[in-house]
Amino acid sequence: MSSITLMVALPLLAAFVLPLAARVARPLGWLVGPATLVATIWVGLEAWRALEGPAVTIALGGFLPPLGIVFHVDELALVFALAVPVATLLLWPWDDGEEGVRRQSLTLLLAASCAGLALSGDLFNIYVFYELAAVASYGLATDRRTAAGFAAAFRYLMLSALGSVVALVGVALVYFLTGTLNLAHLATLQDELSNPIGLAAFLFLLIGFGVKAEMFPVNAWVPEVYAAASRRVSALLAGLVSKLAVLVLVRMLLVVFEQPEARVALLVLGTVGVLTGEFAAWRAKDMARMLAWSSIGQLGLVLMAFSISGTAGVAAGLAVALHHLVVKPALFLLAERWGGAIEALKGAGRRSPLGAALFVLFALSLVGIPPLPGFWAKYLLLGGLAGEGTSLYLAGALVVLVATVVEANYLFRTAALLYARPEAGTQPPAANSPLALGTATLLGAVLVAGVVWVVPLGAGIERIAAVAADPVPYVASALALVQGG
Amino acid sequence: MSDPIGQVLFAGAIGLVVIGIGGIVLSRHLFRMVLALVIAEAGANLLLVLAGFRWDAFAPILTQGVAAPGPMVDPVPQAMVLTAIVIGVGVQALALSLVIKVWECYGTLDLAEVRERLEADLAGQAGVPLPGSTERPAGERPLPPATAPAGEVRQ
Repeated sequence: MSSITLMVALPLLAAFVLPLAARVARPLGWLVGPATLVATIWVGLEAWRALEGPAVTIALGGFLPPLGIVFHVDELALVFALAVPVATLLLWPWDDGEEGVRRQSLTLLLAASCAGLALSGDLFNIYVFYELAAVASYGLATDRRTAAGFAAAFRYLMLSALGSVVALVGVALVYFLTGTLNLAHLATLQDELSNPIGLAAFLFLLIGFGVKAEMFPVNAWVPEVYAAASRRVSALLAGLVSKLAVLVLVRMLLVVFEQPEARVALLVLGTVGVLTGEFAAWRAKDMARMLAWSSIGQLGLVLMAFSISGTAGVAAGLAVALHHLVVKPALFLLAERWGGAIEALKGAGRRSPLGAALFVLFALSLVGIPPLPGFWAKYLLLGGLAGEGTSLYLAGALVVLVATVVEANYLFRTAALLYARPEAGTQPPAANSPLALGTATLLGAVLVAGVVWVVPLGAGIERIAAVAADPVPYVASALALVQGG
Repeated sequence: MSDPIGQVLFAGAIGLVVIGIGGIVLSRHLFRMVLALVIAEAGANLLLVLAGFRWDAFAPILTQGVAAPGPMVDPVPQAMVLTAIVIGVGVQALALSLVIKVWECYGTLDLAEVRERLEADLAGQAGVPLPGSTERPAGERPLPPATAPAGEVRQ
């Protein structure tokens, strides 16, 4: 079971071996990244098969808590830890030359730190992995090496570093109140944290980790970076990194900060995020920024879902998050050569029928048309919000419905343009590259598979959510580790 | 933390964080934003050290054969702060390298100008018209400017 640490260690090692291997022999360097990711996926699958009971805690290097750092493995952590190498492999930068080596190295670094975020059971360790992911993403954000890329990356770095400082203050407050940063230990000390200072600590952590989760007040970087960086990087940041940041917040909410005020904070910030994101996407004139703003709206939906208490909330959040993890990277890939003005897309569907058909499929699922998986995700979300019953949650449900209408409006407007007759004398943009189209087709197949196997998928999400929503197995696995020696 | 020095240190740490964040939000110069970030990080690190500090305790160093003379300071936050300082320096170096790149590309470090150029670049890249500025009112000034001073040609 301790082989699970390889999910972090392998990509981290490969990130630094890759430039050397590329110097020795170019094909060797080209092979290192994908081979590492495939090995990582295999390690993850083996760990899932070997997982006994609801959750397992692993002491790194044999050092037991309270001094050692632990990895916490349950199905929720494994789903996201496995999603990391799969998504990075799908969005792998196959570029050649110096530039390619740099991008591949940074992508591996991002994969290692994201897997660490999913698995770590220690608050400071999470902070370190978060910083590692942040540094890798600053490098990736400048991958086009344009002036706009550098300026956008600088503004991203400033906001993200600001968030890190705020998160560090939150970590310091938690340590001041409890004297530990182990999440399982913190779960047993919840009484120490259920006071205004504890709530302040949660809010600091929320704002700090919320930067990567594209949460409302700290998401100004999103449209700039996604428009300036290459579409692959946008897909990786919007699809993957944001979900891992959300996972960290959710762990903290479920295990450590069981306070109604904390849930309300998440609900309010998520709701504002949905409103601002969807309306800004409606106003956007170019595809890249429309997708960026829509991503903010979708992440707002995820945060709203996780603010619902109990298993229903985790199940809804997991469904919305996984759906977005499949759909948004695919849309960014389709925008590879359609990234410019939306108006200029007139007739693009005639030059690329497959691309246009996929765009319509993903748009339909994002809006939530049955029987596509997006419908079930939104169904769970609305059911959960309505089930809470208080006026604030009902207002949230209303906002989701309004946002869906807005979303449908701008996505279908774009889809209609794809099939419109091109104006005389203008040439619609070229079809996307075969690699981007192929990857998007694969993701489309995943989406359709989600329609076919919706029943087992729903049962699996329910099972994962039931374990994750309950802090008891989390604490029990850590206790078993300490007492078992 | 009842002793006055501790209170002053806590207030100082929080003050440094507030000054730093205020500096990042309010500065109009990219280099000053980086400096403000340094201040904010120093404040957060100080807060973390204070979280585990005791005035009546000894440095947490154990020597073989020598018993600890009394209670010791919690070493965990100090180890964490060392990590945080290293991360902070790395991020600051990256921030400075990006500042240099922005200066090379745009020739200015004024935040408003950089943002304007960035917006123009992104709009040009996408082929869409530049959105109206949020900092200046749309349209012309309602009243004509006062008469130009003598000797200057009005355009």
